[in-house]
Amino acid sequence: MTRHLAIAMAFAASLFTAAPAHAHAFLDHANPAVGSTVPAAPADIALWFTEHIEPAFSTATVTNAAGERVDRGDAHVAADNPAELQLGLKPLPPGTYTVHWHVVSVDTHTTEGTFSFDVGR
Amino acid sequence: MDAFIVAIRTLHFAACASLAGVGAFECLIADPALDGSATAADLSRRLNSLAWISLALAVISGLGWLAGVAADMSGQSLGGVFGSGAVGTALMHTRIGEDWRLRSALVVLLALCLAWNRRRGRFAGDVAWIGLALSVLLLASLAWAGHGAADEGTDGTIHLVADLLHLLAAGAWLGGLAPLALLLTAARRDSASGMTAAAATTRRFSLLAVVSVGVLLASGIVNTWYLAGNVPALIGTLYGRLLLLKIALFLAMLTIAAVNRLRLTPRFDGTDAHAALARLRRNALIESGLGLGILAIVGVLGVLPPGLHTEPIWPLPFRLVVSALSTGALVMLLIFAIGFCVCGAVAVAAFAAGWKRPLGAAFIGLIVCVAFGGAPAMPALVAAYPTTFFAPSAPYNASAVDRGAVIYAQNCAACHGADGRGDGPAAAGLPTKPANLVQPHLFAHTPGDLFWWVSHGYGSVMPGFDGVLTPTDRWSVIHFIRARAAGVIASGMGPAVSTIAAAQVPDFAFESGGVQDTLSQVLAEGPALLVLFGADAPIARLQQLGAAQLKLIAAGLPVVAIGVNGASQGAVTNPPYVVGLSAKVAAMLSLFRNDSDGGETELMLDRNGNVRVRWTASGGGLATPETLAADALTVARFSGAAPNHAGHGG
Ligand code: HEC
Repeated sequence: MTRHLAIAMAFAASLFTAAPAHAHAFLDHANPAVGSTVPAAPADIALWFTEHIEPAFSTATVTNAAGERVDRGDAHVAADNPAELQLGLKPLPPGTYTVHWHVVSVDTHTTEGTFSFDVGR
Repeated sequence: MDAFIVAIRTLHFAACASLAGVGAFECLIADPALDGSATAADLSRRLNSLAWISLALAVISGLGWLAGVAADMSGQSLGGVFGSGAVGTALMHTRIGEDWRLRSALVVLLALCLAWNRRRGRFAGDVAWIGLALSVLLLASLAWAGHGAADEGTDGTIHLVADLLHLLAAGAWLGGLAPLALLLTAARRDSASGMTAAAATTRRFSLLAVVSVGVLLASGIVNTWYLAGNVPALIGTLYGRLLLLKIALFLAMLTIAAVNRLRLTPRFDGTDAHAALARLRRNALIESGLGLGILAIVGVLGVLPPGLHTEPIWPLPFRLVVSALSTGALVMLLIFAIGFCVCGAVAVAAFAAGWKRPLGAAFIGLIVCVAFGGAPAMPALVAAYPTTFFAPSAPYNASAVDRGAVIYAQNCAACHGADGRGDGPAAAGLPTKPANLVQPHLFAHTPGDLFWWVSHGYGSVMPGFDGVLTPTDRWSVIHFIRARAAGVIASGMGPAVSTIAAAQVPDFAFESGGVQDTLSQVLAEGPALLVLFGADAPIARLQQLGAAQLKLIAAGLPVVAIGVNGASQGAVTNPPYVVGLSAKVAAMLSLFRNDSDGGETELMLDRNGNVRVRWTASGGGLATPETLAADALTVARFSGAAPNHAGHGG
């Protein structure tokens, strides 16, 4: 009885809290981390999304404070993880860098976003 | 663009549902019920035409859908995608393209079956069944083009299966309505034998409808759960409200189906069979209309972000805090909720069948359930605002807290006091005393409640900061006051595991052995021990933890040790778990450490970052590695639950 009650309570409570669900690909985390400061310039950047993404239509760019592209323009989906986007970087002097990503999840929804990270300061 | 995709999706769903529905009607209903009758030959020709029209529409809309999706994904105009090759890329290199290639093959095979059946001119046995199988696959493969396709793991599988069943049941029922109307039209023309045929088919069809409705309900609940997920998302977002509208249309269809089944079908044997037949035909057409309405909503839902990913605007001035209900009250509430559903079902059935007395009784039951069910819920109702269920637009992390601290000092400290106790310099002259913002009571409110007050003011004294601070800044200051209150709550904790989850440490980035890491990534694996040490760190303790590190990791308890309050990291021998971080993060973490703690404060965090156990060098002493490992097991069990909003009797 108590067990059933607990289940019923959990169900009632769960109506007011979030269930695990995704459908659009959102940025889960990144390396360098969102808003972080890294001491040494990274050679590449990796973005992990909440969904598998379409390699043909997903891309990202990195720009410096002056708005110039500093990535190698080789954004691609990781071979071992269909939810991870990788992008090579040119040598980065210290400063603030902005990452802009634009991805399509495998259920065809387009999402995009921006974040920044600092190098060596 | 969106309007185009919505229209094309609706058309495609309708065409595919119709194909599967015609196939199912032919094989499962008309063939067994009409076997050899005069109506059969005529009907089979009509059904075949209907199938051809549906197939043509499915092909046209399928192409349009792919073009629309290619335009959307590539950011080009609809006209441009054919020339630029984006359609080709979408077809050859994406998941939906893979799905579409498979479906094109199905369409070709299906066309062959339809052509074969047309020549035979009657309900053909085997080939019709093959056609049915193909059209079912064509409809089912749409599940991969929906939201369900995106989930992974067990959840993904459940969602996908629910999507599949939902599509098939909808196809069998909705798609069967037009054939039913055709049959009833034909039956009206040739009197006696037609009437028997109509009666037999209608009975079979309503059985199919009952099964479909059961499947639609069950799979619909699963889908709603995955995509809207909670009450705020259901009633507060466009997505959720359209879903409710869809359910309302579904209930209307259900009521009509019940009228058909309970009131009209029995009359076939009586004297007014002709009138019943006419009404049944009319009802089938009304149901088809409602069904199209449902498909149009489905078309719109497909292009909207699901409810869980948009901010719900809460429409009510109150909300129900389930955790504030006593067990007894919750049981009462459940009983009346179940009673409400039962009375509702009885009311629909009684209405459909035209039973007056049960209908009255069911209505009284509904009123009783609302009245008596409302009473136990009353104490759990608290004030709510449109933004109550908003999720912060800035993450709860050290940089937001750092920014929030500055904003607080500039805008709030005059009234609420530098340390939040409501005793700022301006407080004395105010008619109402500013709220104390470091009490546990703060967590009785959702972050969205605080957002409303900071945006629009509180009472007559506190001003709104709507035009002064950007939304992100308002969230930052909210993160700051919540982090500060969490620190105060945590400082009241001790070496006994706390069941309250209201002392959440903000996320922060740090560097360990040259690698970037964040607290949230550490916590993704389970609990962690956060060690904050000051200038007078007990070196022996850090060494003890260092020696036990492997053992603790095996027990599921990684250690993250950080020097704050002027600790020089070089002073210790720098064991691998001592990490480096920025001054901002150190400032944030000092909210969780008091000067009176002595050289070291140790906090055990649950998966969500809530402080659950706290030891200090000065009071009570620090725990042995064995105790740490044992507590980690207890704390690991708290995982999963979102931080609750303690207080208000919870
Ligand atoms: C002019 C003085 C004043 C300023 C400035 C002010 N507040 Fe207030 N605030 C008040 C008063 C007074 C109350 C309590 C009203 C009551 O209890 O009726 C209050 C209540 C609150 C509450 C509700 C607490 C609860 O648990 O009920 C929050 C949250 C809050 N303030 C946050 C802030 C923040 C954040 C800022 C700065 C952005 C701020 N306030 C600026 C005077 C002020």
